[in-house]
Amino acid sequence: MPESSVPPVLEVRNLSRRFPGVVALDDVNFDVVRGEVHALVGENGAGKSTLINILAGVLQPSEGRILIDGAPVVFSDPLGPQRCGISVIFQELSLLPHLSVAENVFVTREPRRGPFIDWETMYRNTAEILHTLNLDVEPSTPVSKLSISQQQLVEIARAFSTKARVIIMDEPTAALNEREVIRLLEIVRSLASSRVAVIYVSHRLTEVFSVADRVTVFRDGRHISTSPRNGITEQQVIAAMVGRKLAHLQRPVRTPGEVILEARELTIDNGLVRNVSFSLRRGEVLALAGLMGSGCSELMEGLFGLRKITSGTATLDGKPLQANHPRAAIRTGIGFVPEDRKTSGLFPDLAVTENLTIGALPRWLKSIPAFLDPARERLMTLEYKRQLNIRFSRPEQRVSGLSGGNQQKVILARALAENCRVLLLEEPTRGVDVGAKAEIYTLIDQLVEKGIAILLQTSELPELIRLADRCIVFVAGEPRAELSGNDVTQEEVMEVATGLSHRVSFRDQALEVSNGE
Amino acid sequence: MESKRSWFAWFRFSPVGATLLVVGAVFAVLTPTFLTWNNLLNVCTSASVVAIVGLGMTLAIASGNFDLSVGSTAAFAGCITMSVVPQIGVMPAIALGIATGALVGWVNGLIVTELRVPAFIATLGMLTIVRGAALIYTRGRDIYLFGKTDYKILSTGITPALLALAIAVFFGLLLKQTRFGRHILATGSNLASARRVGVRTSYVLWSVFAIVGATAALSGLILSAQVLTGNGRLATGLELSAIAVVVLGGTPLTGGQASIPGTLFGSLLLAVINNGLNLLNVSVFYQNVTLGLLLLGALTLASGWTSRPGHVVTKDSKVRNKQTG
Repeated sequence: MPESSVPPVLEVRNLSRRFPGVVALDDVNFDVVRGEVHALVGENGAGKSTLINILAGVLQPSEGRILIDGAPVVFSDPLGPQRCGISVIFQELSLLPHLSVAENVFVTREPRRGPFIDWETMYRNTAEILHTLNLDVEPSTPVSKLSISQQQLVEIARAFSTKARVIIMDEPTAALNEREVIRLLEIVRSLASSRVAVIYVSHRLTEVFSVADRVTVFRDGRHISTSPRNGITEQQVIAAMVGRKLAHLQRPVRTPGEVILEARELTIDNGLVRNVSFSLRRGEVLALAGLMGSGCSELMEGLFGLRKITSGTATLDGKPLQANHPRAAIRTGIGFVPEDRKTSGLFPDLAVTENLTIGALPRWLKSIPAFLDPARERLMTLEYKRQLNIRFSRPEQRVSGLSGGNQQKVILARALAENCRVLLLEEPTRGVDVGAKAEIYTLIDQLVEKGIAILLQTSELPELIRLADRCIVFVAGEPRAELSGNDVTQEEVMEVATGLSHRVSFRDQALEVSNGE
Repeated sequence: MESKRSWFAWFRFSPVGATLLVVGAVFAVLTPTFLTWNNLLNVCTSASVVAIVGLGMTLAIASGNFDLSVGSTAAFAGCITMSVVPQIGVMPAIALGIATGALVGWVNGLIVTELRVPAFIATLGMLTIVRGAALIYTRGRDIYLFGKTDYKILSTGITPALLALAIAVFFGLLLKQTRFGRHILATGSNLASARRVGVRTSYVLWSVFAIVGATAALSGLILSAQVLTGNGRLATGLELSAIAVVVLGGTPLTGGQASIPGTLFGSLLLAVINNGLNLLNVSVFYQNVTLGLLLLGALTLASGWTSRPGHVVTKDSKVRNKQTG
């Protein structure tokens, strides 16, 4: 419970940070008290990262003060905050992958016996901390062998072992699946119960609302509001984040046309995904839901020619699907928007135009097939810029300079430029801010309206509910249930996917290890 | 003030071109012979040998790879051509030599795409294998060509320079105006993405490696024509000069981008510096040191530019650098 009589364990007053040409933080106030989870939300560029980096001692403020327990401090390097008991868990984890869990937890603070590392003590202490975090791994396991969520818990274990009084988490759930998220949120709650102050930075409002005591919104480097969780609604937070009202988040009523893509007893890569049958209609969104590793992505990759279909048949418009290389899939009218645009979607060194048109090149100027037509490419780019409201200054601009949302739109435009009839969408709004997200949803609605059939895979259930008309839930490589219409709810999907109800009751108990008091 | 700014603008526009002008001017003042027709022709010829293979290397680097075996390929192709000129005539021999180079390159491509060996290792292996093959083929001896002056034409007058220019124009068009060129850049920028948008990346890489091999062979033929001798030790170290001129020209080693004019200027700069230092009687050892310094300078400038204030560096990336560093 937040306490008001004592000064906040960490407070910033009138903090500003200017970069050449940009004011990243503009006179903000923020504080966190012991035993509280204080969520910090805002779109990209709102100043969250700048504040975190100042609190981590990585950046220095241009103006303003940082107070610890009411006393001003100056952090000139990352060691300063550590000494004051502030621990930051960055989104990109800073673990040493080849070292063991214990070595990572105690790195630079290894217990020693004489000049040598006291392995026994180190392993024992690590095991104790892992136990309180409910993380069932051996302290001697190399970190690279752990899943992302386990690695995250190792980071938390490290923060915990430094007896941190303030733990700052930057987008901790970005790479986690639903079940892992729930577990993480439980741990965040128990950290708070053991009187640690947690600053929780996230895009995902559902999580924020289930874990935070107070919610602070930043926009354009400025502090917009701070309110207790009960005193504000999700809609209000979104409005404060984007500074305007967003289109209402409801799935429109759709009238699907005839069947375009049909799968019968598909098996992919000798059983990675098995016995999949479905039919997808024009103007319809069919979602594939399931936990990570349940086979949804693999099925999509199979349909797109990135994996082998080892048995069963798939037909597109009644003709057997030729899927041995993405090239063939694209030619027959299948578009693919991959899950991770950085690693498998974008060409960072190429211009916006070049990124947009690359999939469509084979169709153009059949008379001289090998040559490009830059003028036409440019026109096409500007056309999609208008249609999809993509924001960039020139078509020749490098795509790496665009924001996440605009990059995602470029990739969507690429699929459209290929004239696809079936669109495979993986995580269409990952790493995209709230405003762009709403735009992408509207865009998807428009595409569906035009008769494009969409196969959707997303780990964000609200997104699935918002977009999908029907949903097939996968468990361990096999379809377990098909939901449609009003049956597509978060609870239904999670219940099938995990085999249990996902409604969480937080334990809200203190962690057992004493915490530096 | 005005002239200062425009000079800077020039430098920004083409650092290697601007440097070339300055270095050339310095040598023109310091030595009386630098600006003579014969000397300039000399410079152009030696620049062309490196430029031709460098242009091929530019494509390889743009596609996200590079080829360490070009020196050996040049030697091997040179030896084969020299040995068959008397039997089959000059033009067929040249064609055979270039085909040999393309074949070696194609094998490189196969190793990289099919056996999934990184280009560094694959072409390092081929470097020694092909060099060995050249020495075996010549039994370690020289192959001389007497009286066949037709072959000499490959290296006399402005032929090498014309060849280099023609190839530069061709590659320039290929990269900027054709689908294949776009696919090379796409493959170099992001292999996984390229595959997903329907680029047949293996085919692109075989072709690129074959092209590099062919350019290496042509460079080797010019070198062998200069001395009318085929020798298994020909063009030793050519791979380093080739990569150096590409880097000097501003093509980043990370792939996805290429500067064809840059490679031409880079080759000229390298040749001018070697020639000027020769004219000044600077020992070859110092020339090596100069070349190294030049490369380091170019790379330092290149990395400095990407992190200058005007350039968009996200706060996050800055922070992470500090975190890890």
